[in-house]
Amino acid sequence: MARKRGGPSGTGRKQDKAIVCPLARAEELGIRQVIDQDGKLTGDLPEPDLDRETLIRLYEMMVLVRAIDERGWTLQRSGRVEFWIPHRGLEAVHNAATIAFTMEDWIFMGYRHPGTLLLRGAPLVQLFAQYFGRRDEPFKGRRLPTLMGDRRLNVVPMTTQVGSYIPHACGAAWAAKIKRHDTRFLAMFGDGSSSRGEFHSGMNFAGVFKPPIVFICENNGWAVSTPTDVQTASATFAEKGDAYGVRNLRVDGNDALAVYAVTREARELAPEIGASLIEAVTYRMGFHTSSDNPDLYRSKADVEAWEPWDPLVRLRKYLEHKGFWAEAEEEALWQRCKDEIQAAIEEAEAMPLPEPASMFDDTFAEPTWMLEEQRAALLDDLGGKA
Amino acid sequence: MPNLTVLESLNAAMAHELEHDPDVVLMGEDVGQAGGIFRTSQGLQQRFGSARVIDTPLDEKGIVAHAIGMALYGLKPIAEIQFSGFIHDAFEHIMFCAARYRWASGGQYSCPMVIRAPSFGGIKGGLWHSQSVEAYFVHHGGIKILVPSTPQDAYGMTIAAVRDPDPVLLVEPVPLYRALSAEVELDGQPIEIGKASVLRQGDDCTVLTYGPIRHWVAEVADELAAERGYQAEVIDLRSLIPYDIECILSSVRKTGRVVIVHEAPLSLGYGAELAAVIQDKAFGYLHTPIQRLAAPDVPYHFSIGDEYYRPSRDRIRAAIERTMEYEI
Ligand SMILES: Cc1ncc(C[n+]2csc(CCOP(=O)(O)OP(=O)(O)O)c2C)c(N)n1
Repeated sequence: MARKRGGPSGTGRKQDKAIVCPLARAEELGIRQVIDQDGKLTGDLPEPDLDRETLIRLYEMMVLVRAIDERGWTLQRSGRVEFWIPHRGLEAVHNAATIAFTMEDWIFMGYRHPGTLLLRGAPLVQLFAQYFGRRDEPFKGRRLPTLMGDRRLNVVPMTTQVGSYIPHACGAAWAAKIKRHDTRFLAMFGDGSSSRGEFHSGMNFAGVFKPPIVFICENNGWAVSTPTDVQTASATFAEKGDAYGVRNLRVDGNDALAVYAVTREARELAPEIGASLIEAVTYRMGFHTSSDNPDLYRSKADVEAWEPWDPLVRLRKYLEHKGFWAEAEEEALWQRCKDEIQAAIEEAEAMPLPEPASMFDDTFAEPTWMLEEQRAALLDDLGGKA
Repeated sequence: MPNLTVLESLNAAMAHELEHDPDVVLMGEDVGQAGGIFRTSQGLQQRFGSARVIDTPLDEKGIVAHAIGMALYGLKPIAEIQFSGFIHDAFEHIMFCAARYRWASGGQYSCPMVIRAPSFGGIKGGLWHSQSVEAYFVHHGGIKILVPSTPQDAYGMTIAAVRDPDPVLLVEPVPLYRALSAEVELDGQPIEIGKASVLRQGDDCTVLTYGPIRHWVAEVADELAAERGYQAEVIDLRSLIPYDIECILSSVRKTGRVVIVHEAPLSLGYGAELAAVIQDKAFGYLHTPIQRLAAPDVPYHFSIGDEYYRPSRDRIRAAIERTMEYEI
């Protein structure tokens, strides 16, 4: 593949020249697609065999997830949620990948992937309880908003050090292989994460031991302010798999059908060939986090080049062409999402915060005398307050 | 004298060193074009160019390891770790390479470099964005550890760190970055490494502390003096390796009572070394057991950590009162 200017997603520093979305040059850049900008079949990958109900569920989830992002952002801006990691524009990758796996399969999710939990059955209020740091959510209010997971749903929470969990996921998949279980694995991480040693260790072991895992590198163009061409001089993230003997390919990350198709295929191939590395080419439309200011490092034109490739709009047009969706349903769906979110917010916000002494729980299976003594000292000092 | 925040003071110190020493470079994730996620290095790449103020790939181990190579060749790198919670990836290179090159090469090579580690809780950051990691790095020699907590200290200690012939870990006070400002003398002068600063004099009790909570300790000591007449001597250690043993001992000999306050976990934390050295060198002067107030040996909690994980003002007050009212 020819080396192009501007790095693996065409994303470079603020520049004046006209920016072309790499998805518009998908064929030339080896980015696999099912549908084009208008939701029409490109003839590249075959149309996946998904029934009407599944397609609509996928679309509705992508809309719900976008509505969550819009609301999460305003909650953070008004001080009700401490911190927010936006996922606007990234709805296709994690939702389509999630439905390519069964409930028995394990997923190692990132912080921009709320749909993964919801599609596996987590109630919306559980997510908002996490965003508000409440006691009665799976992590007991201990972790930053948007860092989620749930063992009951076979979704492992990410370690906050990005990329650290790549070898963890690989090791878990390897364990399933050793135990002769048919469990398959999915691990999703960003382009920036591929610079860490853990990515290389994970790919190397994956190449050697062939665990049943699908790695998705969500190339959203940025790691905070760092564009992909500062992250790597490789023309693609996918080709890093070549060096380790790991099957790899690039897919249009704003084409939910294509993401589903290649992820499903990789999952099916896994028992035979082991790992696949999928580079999903997409774009972070929002801030890195609520603490970020993208005006310092990227141009509006860059973002605008991606607007016409909105994953929601593309899937909706596809559904419309198939007669599965009518424009009239759109407003009702959005309203339903907003109402559900509002109800979840009200319920979650009313939930209690964790008690101070609870921070000692779960450090060990059984607390040591040292922790017991420290807990007693804290309670002593707090007097009535605990 | 200009009135600067801690953040602006760090920026001014780095700008001064970049300007006056062509061998100084700054490198790290997002430090260049964006000026760092906290904006500590805002404007520096624009001023000194992208060959000297360098955006790196996302790789803490790589950042420190490459900075070591630069130092071996004669540059003076300032390597920024975005949050100290992510420094552990580079631990091998900091402790067993940078801190060892001089000794292991028979004194032929050295690694004069600065590793900047934004640290401490108070920003609702949860476990990885609120860490006090200093105790992991004080276990053996070869690297100096500085903890500035005022704008002037941030300025003078950054300059000292850059000019030191050995590697220096600069433990920066994130919660004070913008919250604290003061007049800063931009004299380009380093603050002597290894010197504590006495924040408040007193004859009754010595309180040893460092990091952002040193401000709470000083305020609580003032309140206790006004309300109870307890005169605590509050010492901000500022430099953990080496530490100011003279300052500590002369205070302890005067007061005979010691409280140690830090926001890193208790067990085998920095306070353990202080307690041990005081009983070793000033045992005969002590009236009461040395008391330590620290965070518990658990991770930093997101939703209640800022309130209950760090020693609060109330707990600092209770600790000083306990020591003052101790009966044998
Ligand atoms: C090891 C480590 N270093 C630094 C950080 C701070 N940080 C949080 S997210 C991020 C960028 C991650 O980029 P990428 O992997 O591309 O994922 P994205 O945020 O773009 O989805 C950084 C540097 C971190 N979480 N972990």
